[in-house]
Amino acid sequence: MSNESMHRVIKLKRYEQPPEGYYENFLREFHYRQRAELLNPSLVMLMKERLSLWMSEFRVPTLAYAGVATIALIISAAIIKAPSSSISGDSPAAYAASYTQTPVTIQKMEPVSLRLDSSMGSGDSLPTSYLLQAHPASHELPLSF
Amino acid sequence: MTEELETPKNNDHELVAKTQGGDPQAFDELVIRYTPRLYGLVYNMTSNHEDTNDLLQDIFAKAYRSICSFRGKSSFTTWMHSISVNMTINFLKKRKRRQHPSLNDPDSSIENDPDFIAATSQGDPLSEISIHELQKKLNAAMMKLSHDHRVVVTMFDIQGIPHAAIAKILGISEGTVRSRLFYAHRQLQNTLHEFKRQ
Repeated sequence: MSNESMHRVIKLKRYEQPPEGYYENFLREFHYRQRAELLNPSLVMLMKERLSLWMSEFRVPTLAYAGVATIALIISAAIIKAPSSSISGDSPAAYAASYTQTPVTIQKMEPVSLRLDSSMGSGDSLPTSYLLQAHPASHELPLSF
Repeated sequence: MTEELETPKNNDHELVAKTQGGDPQAFDELVIRYTPRLYGLVYNMTSNHEDTNDLLQDIFAKAYRSICSFRGKSSFTTWMHSISVNMTINFLKKRKRRQHPSLNDPDSSIENDPDFIAATSQGDPLSEISIHELQKKLNAAMMKLSHDHRVVVTMFDIQGIPHAAIAKILGISEGTVRSRLFYAHRQLQNTLHEFKRQ
């Protein structure tokens, strides 16, 4: 089949038409659907509408912007000034001279005994956690609770 | 061979301006004017009457909602076709799961069409088949095409829209339109030959 005859055959699909009276009813159905959409708006549309309504009510007066800007300026100026006033003295040398710190003293230390306590040797009570146990872990039976 | 896409352009502008100015009756006029040609476009993409009807309703509703954003950079026809193609392709992507075309009866005047007579005459692979069979075979062959190929075949072969106008609607180059048509025709030829063998 040549390209030209293919084109002619496909063109025949133009004859596939909707049922009689379809075009006449189409506009009526379009109006009906539009009205139905207005009566039963979707959730997204409702949310949009409510959000836009809320936004329209939420109006900030123009002077408020000027007020906020002034407050911001005052706060930033205070932050910039604050570190210089907290340091006593005018120069770093004076600041260093004024700096004092109490020295750390270490008292006399007693020797610590690492010998095992003889009362724990029988195994009746569990050894405290910082003492090594008699058997290595690999000697224990599996699932022994 | 091809009918002009831009025929009612001047009058369209007037109706669009009236609609944008708040006259809903002007939009009704546009709906009446565009329904038949957009029906052809959507139907030949979906091959299903009910789907076509629902989609067309959605297309016009969307066009009405966004008509204020139409600035006239392209013609209204191109704009409407773009909306239709995009919405139809989106719909087809969602509809992948079902594929049962509803075959509407073709217009009885098809029997007098010289192309139909030529197609069903001797020496043609489609000879000796009825109108309904031909319709079924064509629809099945069309449905085997990808969405991109189907849309160019629908617009060029069925609706007679020129390559340049198709390129504008789809936002692609004319060369791409021609290339897609070439591959789509080749695939259609193969499919229809398979029917002949059966």
